[in-house]
Amino acid sequence: MQILENLWIDIAQWIRGLFDSFLPQWAAQLVMDVLGILLLIVIGIVAVLAFTYMERKVIARVGDRIGPNRAGPLGIFQAIADAIKMLTKEDVTPTNADRWMFLAAPILIIIPAVLLYAVLPFGRGMVGVDVNIAVVFVVALGAIPILSMLMAGWASDNKYALLGAFRTVAQLLSYEIPMAIALLTVVLLAGTMSTVGIVGAQSSIPFILVTPAAFLVYFLAGLAELNRTPFDLLEADSEIVAGYFIEYSGMKFAMFFLAEFINFFMMAGMITTLFLGGWQWPILPSWLWFLIKTIAVIFVIMWIRDTVPRIRIDQMLSFAWKALVPVALANLFLVAFIAKLLEPGWLRTVAAFGSNIVLIGIALLLLGRASRRRKERAREAGEAAVKRYYASAESD
Amino acid sequence: MYGEGILKGLWVTLKHMVGTFVKDIKKFPRRYARGGILERTEYDLYGIFTCQYPEERYEMFPRFRGALMQLRNAETGEPNCTACGACERACPHGVISLEVEGKGKERVLKAYRYNLARCVFCRLCVESCRFDAIEMSHEYELSRYSNDFILEMDDLLALGDKYDVHKTGEAWGVSE
Repeated sequence: MQILENLWIDIAQWIRGLFDSFLPQWAAQLVMDVLGILLLIVIGIVAVLAFTYMERKVIARVGDRIGPNRAGPLGIFQAIADAIKMLTKEDVTPTNADRWMFLAAPILIIIPAVLLYAVLPFGRGMVGVDVNIAVVFVVALGAIPILSMLMAGWASDNKYALLGAFRTVAQLLSYEIPMAIALLTVVLLAGTMSTVGIVGAQSSIPFILVTPAAFLVYFLAGLAELNRTPFDLLEADSEIVAGYFIEYSGMKFAMFFLAEFINFFMMAGMITTLFLGGWQWPILPSWLWFLIKTIAVIFVIMWIRDTVPRIRIDQMLSFAWKALVPVALANLFLVAFIAKLLEPGWLRTVAAFGSNIVLIGIALLLLGRASRRRKERAREAGEAAVKRYYASAESD
Repeated sequence: MYGEGILKGLWVTLKHMVGTFVKDIKKFPRRYARGGILERTEYDLYGIFTCQYPEERYEMFPRFRGALMQLRNAETGEPNCTACGACERACPHGVISLEVEGKGKERVLKAYRYNLARCVFCRLCVESCRFDAIEMSHEYELSRYSNDFILEMDDLLALGDKYDVHKTGEAWGVSE
């Protein structure tokens, strides 16, 4: 077990030793850094290949189908076949497109996506760089894709693309806020902004059992940030064709696709790190636990995609501002109060968990009552309209 | 409670997903082996029911109306057709055209052409035939690479041999 646990670190140290034997100290360090960066990018691309295949298989099984099964045994080379198709496709730029912006958008969307991997702890001592403002880094880089999506939508000279970009800005800006507040709750509990520190703070109990409300808010906001169902209305196939990247083809489209799935893995990894205890769990090696938890989160996100229909744009905005933000704020207040009042320990955990459950219950009750009231009002309005119609018909 | 419907929906999709795996494991080798399509066409709420078309085919139901075929006499092996032309007259689209020589008892069939492109598979020709000479086969892969949709007598007889039918209505389980 110990060998497995330290497998990757040992490999890294072996390679380091190899370079140390004939290179000066600084050069060996440089080579190791470049290798690390390459490794993170490769992890991203491998994750994309694996999760496109997984997504298609999961959605097929939910629909009682087989899914991809032609390319290789059980269709495992389907993702590679798709990648080859993407790479060899014709690259089209619309005549009226804003050329440089059109070119820059896919590059700008993939850079922050890959950069985010730098702070993701994949296992014990396996993190790109352990900065003490990792959470701020994540929130800040998470805002850059909004810009590139807007650039893509604007530069394409296509009304559907622009509409998708507008929706993107409305949605992502709205959901940044509850997400940041949920992150803040975790930071408050952990007492550190470093992702490694946050994982370390969950050694006794994962934060999902301390603040389930923050977890729910972060999870839902994360779905919205990823443009996954039920918040996929900015790339709604049936409404605005594909959203902001409608005019892109070939490699540029592949970049958007890559960025989407790299972000997908990143979001699942962040949920694992922040709420599910990261790589900590007994018996199995730490990096394996990280993978298992992340894939479980990814499965849940895919499962939700296969189940829930898309929501309307007004519902999307009102859900962010009228449900998630108040819950996140109330939760932050509650957790801050409890964390100040009680010493770290079982009592604090139980108090935070109990108050969070009560908070979720109250929120769901209020939301249910609001939706019932809305239905009632719609029914009354309909009845009134029918009455008016008959009254006018009689008077004629 | 708000959000209850979503949880119910998630439960349904999970059941379907797990159901496909449970079914596959329960009938592991049979379900995807040769003839596994029969296992999968059984009515059941769960489990994969995809027919992998080029490798697997559904068995057509007995009364399926595919391309026309010419039948042979069971004893002599000669075609039952007497060149009477009833099917040609019955056909609403001029699909069937006969070339005949001689009159009365001497009447001999020269050519029997069946134009697949115009056939609507109504079976009126079979209804009109009094000599058990033709029947609808179960052939449904009728597309062609070129414009040769006219089947000659030999092609139709080959179809009849393939299905090994000697009386009209036999393939349908009907004795007229």
